[in-house]
Formats: sequence, structure tokens, C-alpha cells
Amino acid sequence: MDSLMERAAPCPAAQAGSVLLPALHLPLLPPHLYRPATSHEHKLNFRKSKEACLTYIQDAMLQKQWKRAAEFLTFYIESLEKDFSTEYMGPSEMIWRIGTEILCHHSYSSMKDFNSFIEQMKTLGVKRYLKVCLEHAFHLLCNGQTDEAYQNLSLAESWRFGEQTTAQDKELKLIQAYRGLLDYYSWSKQKNVLLEYDKEGFEDLSVEQEMHSSFRKAAVNLKEIIQIPGVWDVFVKCYVDLLEFYGDHDEARQVLSEYAYNSKFPANPNAHVYFYQFLKRHGEPKKSLISVLKILHDIVPSHELMIDFNTMLQKSKKRKKRRLGLEVIFAALDYAGWKENVKAWSCLARQVKQIIISEKHLDWIKQEWNSRKDWWPAFHFSRYLAKRNWQENESLAYEKALVAGILLGKDCKYFKYVSHQGCKDQKKRLRTLKKFVNKHSPVYLRISGLSDSSVQT
Amino acid sequence: MAFPAALFPSYFGAGPPGEAGGVAPAAGWGEPRRRSCPAAAGRARAGSLPTSLLCPSCVPTRVAGSPRSCLRTSFTAGSFTGSSGQLGHFFVDHPEDAFGSLGQLLHKNFYLGNAKLRRQARDTTIRMTSLVEEINRLEARHGCPQQHFTSRVRWFSHLCRDWLFEVPLDLLADCVHDELVLQWASLLFDDSSTGGALAWLPPEDAGAHTGCLVYPGGQAMNQLYFQDVVVGEVPRTRGSPAQFELNGRIRQVAAAQLDGEGFVGVRSDYHCGVWKVPGRTGAAPTPLQVIRTNVPASCLTVSPHLPGELAVCTQSGAVYLWSVETGLQQLRQDPQTMFFRDHSPWRWSEFTAHPRVLSCADRTGLQCLDARAPGRCHLDFFKVGEEAGCQQGERVVLPMYLGRAHPSQHLVATQFAVYVMDERLPLVPVLKWAHMMKDPPLFAHVVPGGPGRSHKVLLGASRTQELLLLQYTGGSESACQLAGPPQKLHSISGCLQHLPAQLPHRHWLLQQRLGAPAAGLAAVPHARGQRESLLVFQLSEAGDVFYQTLTHEAAQPRAPDGEDKDEAASSASPMLEAPFGSTPGSPPGSGGEEEEEEIFYLSNLEVIVNEEEEEEEEGTPAASEETQHPEEPCASPHPLPAVPSPAAAVRYRRWLKALFRDWQELPRHTGVRGPPTISQKRLFTRKDLGPPAGTSDLHVRARQQLRRAMREQGRIRRWDLGPDPQPLPQPVEPAAWPDALSARLTAAWAGDLSHWWEERLGLNMAQRQRALRERRRRQKRARGHRSLSASFTSSVTYQSELSELSDGAPAAAPAPPLSPGHPEALPQVFTEAWGGSLAGGSAPGGSTPRRPPPSPPPAEPLLSSQTLRSRGIPKERRKMLRDYLAVCTEGPPEPLPEPPGSQPPSQGGQLCIPSSQSQLSGSQPRRKRPRMGF
Repeated sequence: MDSLMERAAPCPAAQAGSVLLPALHLPLLPPHLYRPATSHEHKLNFRKSKEACLTYIQDAMLQKQWKRAAEFLTFYIESLEKDFSTEYMGPSEMIWRIGTEILCHHSYSSMKDFNSFIEQMKTLGVKRYLKVCLEHAFHLLCNGQTDEAYQNLSLAESWRFGEQTTAQDKELKLIQAYRGLLDYYSWSKQKNVLLEYDKEGFEDLSVEQEMHSSFRKAAVNLKEIIQIPGVWDVFVKCYVDLLEFYGDHDEARQVLSEYAYNSKFPANPNAHVYFYQFLKRHGEPKKSLISVLKILHDIVPSHELMIDFNTMLQKSKKRKKRRLGLEVIFAALDYAGWKENVKAWSCLARQVKQIIISEKHLDWIKQEWNSRKDWWPAFHFSRYLAKRNWQENESLAYEKALVAGILLGKDCKYFKYVSHQGCKDQKKRLRTLKKFVNKHSPVYLRISGLSDSSVQT
Repeated sequence: MAFPAALFPSYFGAGPPGEAGGVAPAAGWGEPRRRSCPAAAGRARAGSLPTSLLCPSCVPTRVAGSPRSCLRTSFTAGSFTGSSGQLGHFFVDHPEDAFGSLGQLLHKNFYLGNAKLRRQARDTTIRMTSLVEEINRLEARHGCPQQHFTSRVRWFSHLCRDWLFEVPLDLLADCVHDELVLQWASLLFDDSSTGGALAWLPPEDAGAHTGCLVYPGGQAMNQLYFQDVVVGEVPRTRGSPAQFELNGRIRQVAAAQLDGEGFVGVRSDYHCGVWKVPGRTGAAPTPLQVIRTNVPASCLTVSPHLPGELAVCTQSGAVYLWSVETGLQQLRQDPQTMFFRDHSPWRWSEFTAHPRVLSCADRTGLQCLDARAPGRCHLDFFKVGEEAGCQQGERVVLPMYLGRAHPSQHLVATQFAVYVMDERLPLVPVLKWAHMMKDPPLFAHVVPGGPGRSHKVLLGASRTQELLLLQYTGGSESACQLAGPPQKLHSISGCLQHLPAQLPHRHWLLQQRLGAPAAGLAAVPHARGQRESLLVFQLSEAGDVFYQTLTHEAAQPRAPDGEDKDEAASSASPMLEAPFGSTPGSPPGSGGEEEEEEIFYLSNLEVIVNEEEEEEEEGTPAASEETQHPEEPCASPHPLPAVPSPAAAVRYRRWLKALFRDWQELPRHTGVRGPPTISQKRLFTRKDLGPPAGTSDLHVRARQQLRRAMREQGRIRRWDLGPDPQPLPQPVEPAAWPDALSARLTAAWAGDLSHWWEERLGLNMAQRQRALRERRRRQKRARGHRSLSASFTSSVTYQSELSELSDGAPAAAPAPPLSPGHPEALPQVFTEAWGGSLAGGSAPGGSTPRRPPPSPPPAEPLLSSQTLRSRGIPKERRKMLRDYLAVCTEGPPEPLPEPPGSQPPSQGGQLCIPSSQSQLSGSQPRRKRPRMGF
């Protein structure tokens, strides 16, 4: 019937029967002539049933009824018969997507089924050939079939199909990159083998040669993709690893700084982290480390490296850097994710304590505190939090109580609660804390701006 | 919080969104990212593909661009969604409106057959067949790159363009354009309920199981309820809800738990309010502050960091930080959208990981604003564009801070996809998934997964009630990944199939009720021992709260990532039910389930149900789908219908009962529906209306008369059995006017003037005497046969009399007699009434009226007031009845049929009281009847 209708139609009909031109319909035709008896009706019906079928498939899949979905999919395949659609996603792509998903979850599917399905899908549409290949490789990798995945990627890399190859340039680059990644993977395996041999005093030229060829293949592909703007953490790391192994530090440094500082790339904190780690590995001077971390601090003040940064700055002799350190740790503690970070609180407590004891630079604290005094008490130093912190993590409570006692005075709820509890429990540490805070209570007045000159000691 | 050491690779491009996507209902499937690599692959984890390649999904009828831009492009591209296409549809669907008059004028001149036109016809008719064929071919070739118009079509279109259309084409196009803009705007983004109006406040300490559900209800959804709910396998409400009446429809309820206290923000169009709910259960919520806005507010979120802080956005583009203590601080006032121009006034704001930094969203993206320096500090966080791999026409519909799952993660939902964003990596989504929902998700709820577990995100759509569960992992140690395939939960409307069968109008009502758009969503994780479950509450616009339970199940060994998955299995059950009357005509709620394995009946429901509010709950932990039978017979379009457990069925029935009860009470309260009825309660006591102790003859007869009248489809006439309170109007008695003129007029009126004239002249005196004699004889005979057995013969005589009368014209009677077959004939009643004893003497068909045997007068006992009282006849009527019966009994049991003239006029008054005796006993009253016809 389908084919018959097909022949009757003068031209292969678009799937979208409803994609009408501005219809010129003649006046007052009897209804059956509005759509003259071509295959039009049929196409509409076919389209409708296709849509219905697709809905059922979706429905089944969303309810994890893979079997049911699979059965519907076999019906849906019929829609390929008239795949002349100009739609964004035609039936062949849908079949690929749905089929892949079903095969991934269907309890009776095997890797063999999956592979043969994908091979069919590859022949079904050249427009997304490379994408299908890439997904296939991912699937193989996920199932531990690294070699097959590698083969697959190499095959896809050499695929040429006129314009289609250039149209799928992005996928091609990705395929090359992933192949490079697998090359890197085998390189690092061979490297480990060689290192093992080295230990035992062997030497194996063939392995070494293989390793070098892996390196070359990996390096070429990886280098290419990381020049395109994107998030390439894995590729960059591998590439830098390769370069470092062969001692090309300048290139590695170049790559990393490009990855971190090229404005076309997204502001990826990892790029800065990699650069920092690289510099640290190679014993670069503190100054350059600090400058890298300073930039990281500017874009992500809540990054976990801020603790390192703060420690580094605190140790510095320069006042400016110590000042920056205080800023960094205050800024980090602004974030909800750091609320219960003992390390950060102890950093802050230590630095604040230092400042108090030295009685210099109280204005630093004052300045930092000024922008926070309206919300830190509720955010960090509420009685509820004191209770909870004390129950869950005493040392956190201790550090926070110290900071609270200094910043808010000994009457603040947090400090009062913690010191009270601490005295009850006969904690020595708390007693010293209390003594310290009591001793430096005037500081609070100065910090909070309540002080006048007479209070100054 | 750590940042993942390596993210999945993806391209990053800047600029406007890439390709225009189309319908892609399967876009969410087949991506690799939800499968993580085995450890063997080391760092080579399965990467996400470049996001720009992802195909979005949307509903076929949805427009993939902003309405305006789509319209603009559609004019050139002629796409399905464009006005030209819409015009085409209009012509097809409403040809009369489009071409009516000219069509009528011209249709003779257009020939559509295949035959050749004959010569004469050719002068006035043109053959259109080939033109139509060509148009069809054009349609079929649509999309073909070598599309060209043939000259004939162009010729025709040039020729007709100006005059063929009923409404000038340009004008029509303008109208269609305007209408489309409006329709699409409302269809695409109905944003008033964004965020949802259902909130859950968890118990302060994890061990307690009583939380608080906050939801709107009432007639106009203007009542705010705080209902304590005990979470368990089956949630139960506890106590009656605290209730606040607001002066506007509640659009959104947002809540956050802080320092053991709950803060609830409530948004209606022009007012926003904040309530504080003390941590301990049972304590009453207290309203804290209310603000009024000049422009409708579009967003209200409660800070998860600082107590008493909220973010408010209005449709004028203003964003405020609202602190209960310090008041409002305006952060931004910009009627323009952020990244490109979009006409939507919708704005949204959420808190971020930094308590002083707010995210601020419009349809084009999100920015982060620092409240300490709002003018200077802002950061582009999410852009609808190439950065996130969006497609043309994509718009933000719901941003949400996922702080409970991960302090720096945000969810951004568009009509095509959901994105998980990390504040530390702006513009690049760390997770993207095309959700394939038919309606954009307007509600979302996140359930944090804890260490090593996946976070669950629930997405809910309003109109279609879709509910999708998405699980993802990562964010701090590892990169974000979807865990397992997404899962569809039951919708409220799915309940319908589990409810007992209803009468059609009730079914319709139920359908309406259950199909109401969803209005909110909340989820509560619950663990008891090893058994973990997730309770999902859904609120519908009709005010119903439904819930379903998802039970947790450890991942299958197959799953490579070893993630735990939550398997949904359950059905939605009505949880709370607002009074029906509260939202008459409002759409129903959502909540249905397709699989129910167990349903539990809520035992203490009765306590909650009261007149004002019905609350019912049903829990239905469902079994996982994975456990379904391997041998499913064959794919059926509908998922296997699950049968609700008996307990659930009971619960459903109970809910139904409450619903219908409210529904029935509705007209009484509102007076809207149904015709007005007058209660009889005041007129008669129940005793009056009740049947007398013993069924009297009267009743039997009346009933039989009724029955007979029904069978014969005749009219029910005045009862001649009982006292008739409405006496007939006194007929004019010709005999009372004995003068010649009157007699003549009477005769003329009756139509036999000639007869009268003859009589007057004495021409037929002899004939008359004969007739008179004959009649006397007959009457005498009839008197002689006054037994029951004679009734048959008497009826025969009646027949003969009739026939005689009919051919002999009116002999004595001035009025024409009844026609013989008249079904109204009253006497039948008696034949029927007596039928039992007559043994076939009565013809049930009643086609031949019979003269009934005279009935004995009602027995004297009727007259005694005692019997009357015992029959429940009111005192005032007793006398009447007694008088009446006295007349009957005093009169001759069988009054002789007197010619009308012989009756003294004075008797007229009495006679016209319809007495069964007099009427039944002879033809005399019948003679009068024709007058009544006038």
C-alpha cells in the first residue's frame, strides 16, 4: 500500500505533510476535494501513526520498560521507508538514539547486538556518521573494550565523504583527540613497562619504539584539539604529561598558560590549577605561584586552593601579601560551601590571632569586617550554629568561637555558648580561648568601629 | 568544596545560538554521558560531546523561536509555524469565512472534473483540474531544494490575489500575525506559576518525621495552609492546618529551612509576604512582613543562607533583596533583557553560594549580581547562546539554586533542555540533557543525595502535569554525570483510570478535576531502617495535593557506574483535597500513576476530613519497573494497567465521595447551577406528605389512573377521585337562558341552527318524542342492571349510544359527544380500579372506553374525623372533605341523567364540583365538557 501510494504521488512527499505552502484552495470545493485524493491523506495518517508510535516509545523508555520500547521501535523502523524529512532530527537519527539507549539498558542485549546495531546505523545516515562512531567508541570504552574502541576511532578518522567530512569537522577533531587519548593511554602503559624493566635492569627496544610512536601519534592529535576553544582538561593534562616526560617544559608551560589565559577559552578554574601545579612541580619561585593563585582567587574565590594560597601569603614577609592572605581567607569563608571547613576557620583564627597579638594592622580586620558585619553574625555565628557545631565538630566550634569572640566581642551568642559548654566540659583549650578573648576584648570595639581613641592601647 | 579535577571535554564557542532546531522528540537519548567509564579506562572517561551538537526536543506544535523572530523568518522561509502557513490552515479550515461570497459567485465557473469542457460551457467556465494538481505537487515537493513555482500557479495567484479573499489578504495576515504573537507568548511561557506553590519544610532534626507542607487552597487559591504531615511509608496529615487568608491568588510558595526555623515566602500578583514557621512541631506560623508591588511580581525566593532574606523580582525588570529587618534593597532596574532583546517581562532571581550574591535571570540568561555593589559587579553566568550549546528560540524558563545538593550548582531549565551550571565555571554547563518534556518545566525540586549517592532532580510541567525524575552525580570530586536514565513519574490525571467507573457527567467532572494543570511540586526523602523512599507531592490548580512514593533500590549489577538508583513505583494518591467549591471551574490537579503495586490506606484520615476541607491521603509505594516480567506479551500502546489495591480503591472512593459531596453542595452555596427549587418542607409536615398507614382506595385509584394515563400517553386529567381544590369555572348553562334568542344563539353556536329552526317550526316533533321515549327506556334498563356484571353490557350500550349519537347528530345535547375512542375517558379508571374483581372485565389497553359500574359511595367511616385524622388529612381540610362526601352520599347513588334543561340552575354550583359519582354515573357531565374546551 505504501509503495502504491508512493507511486501515485508525483514527487516524493515531504514527511511533514503539514508543512504547507500558503495554500491556494479554491472556493467552495466539496470537502473531499480540499485535499485531492492523492497520497496526501495517507501521508498524514502515516505521519500521525509515526508520531503516536514515537510517543509510546518515549513513554516506555521513560518508565524503563525497555522491552516494550524495543517492540515499538521495531514498528517505528517502518518510518524509515519514507524518510524524506527536512526535519531537524529525522527518523533515522531517532532510531539511532532510541536504539542505543534501549540496547544500553535492555536486559538481554549483548555487546554483539549493540555493535551490529551501530554498524547499521552508521550506514543509515552519512550526516552524522562521525557522531555515531564517536558514541560507539564511548560505549566500547565504557565496556572496557579499549582496543575495539581504538580501531573504531581510527576507522572513523579516515572516513571521507566529500562535503560531509568537512561539515562534521568538530566531530572529526574530537575523534582524533580521543584517539590521541587512547594513544596516550597505551603510551603510559608502555612507559610503566619500561620503568619496570629499568628497575630490573632489562632493556626492550621494541617496547621503547612502540612507546615513542604512541607518543607521536598522541601528541599530534592532542595538540590540535587543545588549540580550539573549549574545555579540554583531560587532553591538556595528558599532553602536558607527554611533554614533561620528554622534557619539553617550555612547550608544556606554553600550552598551560595558553589554556589558562587565552580569553577565548572559558574561565575554567582547572586551567589555572594545572598551571599552578605545573609551576609547583618545577619549583618555580613563590612569586609566580602567587600570581597564578591570585588570578584564580579573582575568578573563583571559593576554590579549595585558597587555603594553600592563604598559607603561602601568611608566610610572606611582605605586609601587602599578608593583607591579601586575610582577604583571601575572609572571601573564602563567605561561601556557603566553606561554612564548616575547619581548615579555613583555623587559618582565619590563626591570622586574626596573630594580628591581635602583634597589635598591628587591626585596620585590616576592621576593613574586612566592615562589609561583613551585617550578615556574618547570622550566617556564621548564630546560636543555632554554635549548638550544632559544638555537637558535630568541637574543633570547628573552637576556631569559630575564637573568631567570633574577637570580631563580635565576648557577648556574642556563638562565643558565649561555646565557652559556656566548654567550661562545663572542663575543656582546657576553651579556657585559654576565653582568657584570650577576654584579654583582647577592647579590640572588638575598635574593629566594630565603636571605639574612640581613648580605648586604644 | 572541591572542584572536579577534570571536566568532560566540550567545545566552547561564543555568540548567538547555533542552528535552529526543530522537532526532536528523542534528543535526550543515546548520549553517552550518563554511562561512566570503567576504571580501566583511566582518565579517558567518556566525554560529553560538544554540546552544540545536541539536538533539542520540543513539542511539535511549539514554536522554536521567539514568536516575533519566528514570524519574521517564517514569512521568508515559509515554515510551518509562520503566518503564511497559518493563513493556509485558516483557508483550509474555514473556507466559508475565507472565500464565502466569491466562492458562491464563481463556483459555477470553475470546473474540477477530468473531462474536457464542452464548447458552450467553455465560454463561462474554466477547468481548474490541472491547477489543483500542480498545487498539490508543490506541496509534495516542499522542502525540496529545487523548489520553484510554475507559471500557472503564479499566474493564478496574481490574478486572484486582490479579489478572491473575503477579508483582504494583508489585513488578514496582520490579524493572524498579531494573534499568533499573543497566542505563542502565552502558550510558550505561561510564567505566572513558575516556581510552584507547594513547599515542604522538613522537620528540624532528621529523626522526627513530621514536616510541614505549605500550599494554597480556597475558593480563589487565596488561603494559605500550613499542614503538618507525618512522613512514613504512607504520609498522614496531623491536626488541622494553620490557615491564613490572603487577598490575592497565591502564585508561588517558596520555603527555606534555616537555623531550625522555616521561612516561607508567598507571592501573589501584587503582594509578597513572608512567614516564619518555628522549628518545633505544632507551633503556629507567624506572618512577618508583607510588601506590595505596583507591577506584578514574577519571582520570590527565600535565602537558604540568612534568615529573613528574600529575593523579589517584578515584571518591570527590578530585582530586590528583601530583608525582613532592613527592608528592600534594589539591585537592578532594567526593563531590557540582558543578553539580547526579548519582550518577555519575566524575571527571576535566586541566591547563590555567596549570601550577598544573587543570580538574576530573564529569558535570555542569568547574571550574578553582588548586593554589596550591585551597579558594578556582575558576572555572566548563563547565556542562551553558543556558549551553552543552545538552539535558536531557546529561552530560560526556570532557574533554580541547587544549594542543597551542591553549594555552587544551579539548575537552568529551558523549554528544550536542563542545564546544571557551576558558579565556578560560568557559561559552560557542566551537565546538559534534553528533557523532551512536552511542556516547559515550571517547577523543580532537588533532593540532595549525600556522599556517594546521586542527587535527584524532579522537574514538573504545569499544563501537561509531566513529572520527570533525573539523577546526577558529581560536582565536587568528579565531573557531573547523569546517573541512569530519566524516569517519568505518575501524573495526577493518570489516577482516573484507577477510579471506579462513574456516571458520564461525574466522569467528566473528575476528568476536569484531575486534569487541572499542576501548580507545585515537593519531594521528601524518607528512610526507615534499610528502606528508603522518596515521597513526591504534587499540587494541582484545583487545590488537590497528591503524592506518590518512590522506593529506593540499589543499582543493578549491570549498571557500570554502581550508582544507586531510585526506582519509582507508585501511584499518585490524593493527599489533601481542597473543597471543591473553592475553585469552581478551575482545572484539576495532577497525579496519576501507571504502576501501582501496593497502596496503603491511610487510617487516620477521618480525623482530618471536615466540612471545610477534605483531606485524604493515600500512599502507594510502587514496585520498580526493573522487576517487571520478562515476558511481556506484546507491546501495547498503553502500559499495563496496574490495579490499585483494595485499600487504595477504598481511599479513592472516599476521595470521590468527598469530591461529589462538595460538588453537590456547590449550587446551594453559590446558587449558580441548576434551576431554583422551592422547598416544600415548610408547607407540609412530613406526616402530611408521607403515605397514610394503609393504602386507601383513593391512592390505589389515583395511582392506577396515573399509570394508565402514562401507558396511553394521554394527559393526566383532574382527579375525580379525591377532593379537587380547584373547582371548574362554572360553565354557562344554556338552560338558564330560556328566551328564544338565547336558544337560537346557542344552537347556532353549536352548529345546528337548522335543526333548531325545524324544531321551532315543529317539524320534527314526532321524531323527538320517539327519541325521548327511547332514552327513557334505556335508562330504565340501565338502572335495572346495576350489578357489576352489567358493566360489560352497559359499556356495549354505551357504544351503541355513541354510534347512535354520532350518526343521529346531536339529538338532545347541545354539545357534541365524545368520540368513541377517546382515551381520556375518565370512567376507565374505575374499570381498572375494579379490575381485580372484575376478572377481565376491564381492558387494560383502554382502547374501548367502558362505562364503569357505579361505585358505591365511600363508606361512612370516611366521615368520622377520627379516620380523617388517622389518614393524615389536615384539620382544615377535614371539614371540606366531609362536606364533599356528604353531598355525594346524600345525593342519589346514581343520579338520573337529566337533560340539562331539566336541571335547576341553582344546582349548577354543586354539580360542578367534580364528583366522581356524578361524573362517573352517566353521560350527563360529559355533555358539558365540550364547553370546557373553550
